[in-house]
Parts: sequence; structure tokens; C-alpha cells
Amino acid sequence: MTADYINICLADDDEDDRLFFTDAFDELKINTKVKTFNDGVELMNYLNSEDSILPNVLFLDLNMPKKNGVECLLEIKLNEKFSDIAIAIYSTSSSEEHIEETFVNGANIYIKKPNDFENLKKILSEVVSMNWQYHTSGLNKENFLMRM
Amino acid sequence: MEISQIRKSPLFLKIIFIVSVAIIFFIGAITFKHVTVLKKTSTWISVSYEVSLELERLLSYVKDAETGQRGYLLSRDKSFLTPYYDSNDRIKKSFKRVTELTINSRTQQRNLTKVQYFISRRLNFLSKNLYLIESGSASEKLVASNLLSGKQAMDSIRVEIQGMITTQKNLLKYRQYDYNSTVNYTPLLIYLTLLITLILITVAFIMMNRDLVLLKNTIHTLSVAIEVNNLSEIVGNFGSWQLNLETEQYTFSDNQYRLLGCEPQSFEATTEAYKKFIHPDDFHIVEEKNQNLRSDSVLPPFVYRIIRKDGELRYLKVMGRTVTVSSDNKTFVGTTRDITSEIDDQILAEERNRELESNNKELSAFNYIASHDLQEPLRKIETFISRLVSKDYNNISSAGQQYVTSIQKSTNRMRLLIEDLLQFSRTNKTEKNIEKADLNSLLENAKQDLAQNIEEKKAIIESDNLPTLNIIPFQIQQLFINLLGNSLKYSKKDIAPIIKITYSKVVSKEEEALPKTHHYYHKIAIDDNGIGFEQEYATNIFVLFNRLHNKNEYQGTGIGLAICKKIVENHKGFIIAKGKLGVGAQFIFYLPVE
Repeated sequence: MTADYINICLADDDEDDRLFFTDAFDELKINTKVKTFNDGVELMNYLNSEDSILPNVLFLDLNMPKKNGVECLLEIKLNEKFSDIAIAIYSTSSSEEHIEETFVNGANIYIKKPNDFENLKKILSEVVSMNWQYHTSGLNKENFLMRM
Repeated sequence: MEISQIRKSPLFLKIIFIVSVAIIFFIGAITFKHVTVLKKTSTWISVSYEVSLELERLLSYVKDAETGQRGYLLSRDKSFLTPYYDSNDRIKKSFKRVTELTINSRTQQRNLTKVQYFISRRLNFLSKNLYLIESGSASEKLVASNLLSGKQAMDSIRVEIQGMITTQKNLLKYRQYDYNSTVNYTPLLIYLTLLITLILITVAFIMMNRDLVLLKNTIHTLSVAIEVNNLSEIVGNFGSWQLNLETEQYTFSDNQYRLLGCEPQSFEATTEAYKKFIHPDDFHIVEEKNQNLRSDSVLPPFVYRIIRKDGELRYLKVMGRTVTVSSDNKTFVGTTRDITSEIDDQILAEERNRELESNNKELSAFNYIASHDLQEPLRKIETFISRLVSKDYNNISSAGQQYVTSIQKSTNRMRLLIEDLLQFSRTNKTEKNIEKADLNSLLENAKQDLAQNIEEKKAIIESDNLPTLNIIPFQIQQLFINLLGNSLKYSKKDIAPIIKITYSKVVSKEEEALPKTHHYYHKIAIDDNGIGFEQEYATNIFVLFNRLHNKNEYQGTGIGLAICKKIVENHKGFIIAKGKLGVGAQFIFYLPVE
């Protein structure tokens, strides 16, 4: 059953962003199962629970209450169990510091939240259909930030 | 140089003194010897005269005896015989006296024995004749032969005594000659030695005099140096102290007392007296550092606090080392400086640094707000509008559609402003990662960034081969993006833009925009065939938010060129603009050659 769907998780404290995110996948008509979490703690609780289905791609907002995106990233990278999860940073900011920090800590791609819904759909479909193995092997600082 | 001369002269003076004393002893010895010889010789002369006199007397006594007997023989008067009898005794006495006087001369003793023999022979003949005559049995012939033999003996006596007197005279002569030869050289010798002594003493005097002058000059120089030192101690706010390592005596300079808030030399310079001023908490530091003072012969610099006489707290920094002026005089010298004002300044600077740091933190917090928090609501407005347009655009009235378009324009402009402002503040960042970068590839990156724009306008961009420089790569790339973007934006509507990028190396003084120095600069010029501008605005366009055109004609925030200026200034370079309205614009930036 799991093989038919691409499992996607999003941790974002912003309600509107979660709405844009789910709406975009609804309109994209790709076989995806999208789960959203309000903050890092909620996300980690889900991932760490025994019976949870681990996502194929995890979208992480950086600025979240309780546990922020970088803290989640560090925790996930420390656990062998989560080594197959592709991590996409999904943030409003595109500051050098954030890009540098998340790249160094092992995120797979950095997405700056787009300001146009059509753009959002385009980006998400591209990310979801990405060949992660290929992308990760050739990953460098230049192609880490997703450009449209 | 002068001081070493003074050090040498005591040795020289000592030598002169010793030589002079030796010479005086020599003169004394010679004089003593001379006087002794003189005394001996005078004794000799008187002895010689006495010997001659006594010998003459001896002869005359013998003659007396002869004469008395001759008178008796002629007159047969017994009274003539008195001198004859007397002479016997006298001869004996006289003979004894001569023997005594000539005891030292072997020749004279030998001669004297001969004389004695002849005298006794003579006296014998005399007594024989007298006997013959008195007994009356004397024949004329016998008496006559006796007389003849007596006369012969008498002649011999005369010859001998004469010989003795001559010998004595010769001896005396010889002595006198000997004495004269000694005495003749003595005055010359004394005179010469005196002369040498005089010369030596004169030389010593000249030397001492010269040393005195030298000493006077040195003392003058020294006292000036002391005054200079005193003055510089006051100006430099430091004091000095000395510790004689032989006598354990301390000396403090005047200003050392002033540092303590005391009158100069107002108390005796001792450890105990000084300890009273040291801050109790810093006491152990001073003790500890002073322990190794003798063995290490240096006192590494350290800071301690004192409480001045008036109760004020001051910070003093001390250091010192052993100086050896001569082998037997080791002195430890140290300086103490009042660094209170420096410490105060340091505290002030630290405070200011903290203020600056917190200001910087506030600024970066503002950056974060601008980059994240301000963009977020804007992004949402834009996304919602994009959804509204794609989903419900046809359901809105035509006026409403107009409003939606206006909202979109405004939000776009706001986004542009926020992004440019962020860009501008990023060029302000303090940390600058300077690395070697190829300007050609940075230009290529910039062109890629603007690819869509270039394609739309069908722009042609030509460029020289650019150098590889030590720069902040992302900033120079931004510079190219902004300048090329500028040329593309202000292109003529009906003509495809042609942008030429030229490179040359120039000397500062040959460029009118640069200072008149001999430094070399990389000159990169970007020419376009756009709408240009009037030259009078050439400097204004680099000012933040300064725009030459209405925002409805050309989109823009008035930040782009301000960023360019900032980037070039970050690289210690210059940027200028030249324009001709309707013909084109030229932007030139200069980067220094290292």
C-alpha cells in the first residue's frame, strides 16, 4: 500500500502556509499522502513513535516555536532510522547564514517559499518527483538552493 | 669614549707615581754613597799627611842622635850626648806611631821593616863609636871606618823614608783620583734623574688636568641628562628607582615620589616605606615578582595598584633590569609608570565595544526581521492574490479586477524594496571573505542571472578578458548584476542594447577621478547605448533612494547604484558615472592593484 503513495510531511507553524501546501498537492494530482505538523515537537513525536509511516520527503520550516527546523534537522540526522528521508528546507528566508547552516547539517535541498501559487505547485511537483540519490551525489552549495 | 679615557688614567698616574718614588730613592742612595766616599777620602788624606810628618820626625830624631854624638866626639863635652840619649826613646815612639798609621798598607809595612833595620844599624854604629872613644882604646882607623859605615846606614834610612813618603803620596793621589771620578759623575746623574722626574710629573699634571676637563664636561653632560630625565619623567608620568645590589640601598627619583602623591625625597627610600602605598590585594604580586629580581637580573613588566597619599587608587606598571657599570658595582634599575589613564581608556573602549556589539546585534536582528518577518505577510498577500486571480478573477467586477492588478503592482514593488534593502545591508556586513576570483566567471554568473532579461531585450554584451583578483566574489558578482541590469533597464525602446565591458590597468594620477598618487588600479568600464543621463546627475545617482526617473516609467528602488558604490568602497576602489542624454552611459569602477 505504501509503495503507491509518496509520503510527505510538512512541519510549519503557519496555518496559511500549511493550507497552501496541502492545496497545492491536492491540485497537483500526484499520488501523495501529506501530513502536516504545527511545530518541531509534534513532528519529532510522530517520527519517533513505533507505528508511524516514515515520509519519503520531509519539508521543514526553520522558524517554529518549541523546536525549530535546525534542531529537528540535527535530531533526524543523528538517527540511523531516518537516513532514507529526504529533507527539504522550506523557509521564507533565503539568508546566507540559514542556507549555509542547513547545508552543513545535511539537508538535501533549500526551498524559498514562493510568492505565487502556481510557482509553489511547480516547485513542489519538481521536488516530489526528484531522483534523490542522483541529486544527493552531486549536491553542492550551488545547487542546494532550489532555483525556479 | 671620554669615560673610558678617564678609566684608564688612574693606572697611568699610578705608574708615574711609582717611577717617581723609585727615582727619588735612587737619588738618595747615590747621595748617601757619595757622602760616605767623601768622608773616607778625607780620613785618608789626614792619615797620609800624618804618616809623612811622622816619618820626617823619625828621620830628624835619628839626625839628632847623630848630631849629638858628633858634637861629643869633637868637643868631648858630655852635654852633647843628652839629645843622643833622648833620641832613642823618641825614635821608638815615633816608629810605633808610623806602624799604627800604616797598618792597612802592606807595602809600607814592608818598607818600615827595612827602615827599622837601617835605624838599628845606624844606632849600633853610633853606640860602638861612643864605646870605643870612652874606653880610649879607639884607633883612628877603626873610628873612621865606623863613621863611614854609619854614614852609609844613614843614607839608606834617608832613601827608605823618602821612598815611604813617595809611596804614601802616590796612594793619596790614587785615592783622590778614585774619589774624583766618583764625584764627577754624580751631579750629572742626579741632574738627569731629576730632569726625568720633572718630565714625568709634568706629564702626569697635564694628564690630570685633561682628565679634570673631561670630568667636568662629563659631569655637565650628566647633570643635563639628569635634568632631561627628570623632565621626561614628569611629562611621561613615570618614575625611576635604583637598588644598589652591594649595599642594598634604594634610591627613588623625584617623580617616583610624585607618583605616590608625595613631595620629592620626603621620606627615606626603603622597601618598608614603599610597601605602605601598595594596595593590600596586590601585595603578593609585588612580593612574588621581586623575589627573582636578583637571580634573573630582569624584572618583567607587571601592573599593580597603589593607594596614593591622598587616598587615590592608581595603576602602576613596573619593569627593570640589572646594569653593571663596573665589575664591582651592580645596580638594579627600574621604571614605574602610572598607567591609570590608559586603564581608564581601556575600560571605556571595552564599554564602547560592548555598545557597538549590542548595536550590531540589534542591526542583525533588524536584518532578520526584514528578511523573514516582513517578507512573510507580503508573500502571503501575493500568494492569496495569485490564487484569487487564478480561481475567481472572472467573478470580480471590472473595477475590482483593476484594484487587484494595482494591489499586485504595489506588492511587487514592496518586495523589490525589501529585497534591495536587504542586499544593501548585506554589503555592510563586517566579515568579508576575501578570496582570489576570476572576474570573467563572475561576469558570466551575472549574465546568467540576467539571462531572461538579456534575451527579452536581445542585448549584446561584449567584454575584454578580465583579471583574477583578491576580492569578495559574491559582492563583485552583485556589482556586475546591478550595472548590467541598469544598462538593460535604461535601454532605448527601439534599439537593442549593446553593452561593452573594457579592462585596463592605470596609474592613479593619470585618471581625473582618482587621487594624484602613484598607485596602480584595475579600471573596468561598462559602456551602453541606452538613454543616458545628464552629466550633472553623475554623482547623485549613487545616493541611496535617489532616482532620475518616475517609477511609472522605469521600475526601480534607487538602491541598486548605492549598493554598487558600497561594494566598490568595500574593495577600497572608486566608481564614477559619465552620461550623455540620449547617447548612453558609462560606469567605471577602479579596484586597487595589491
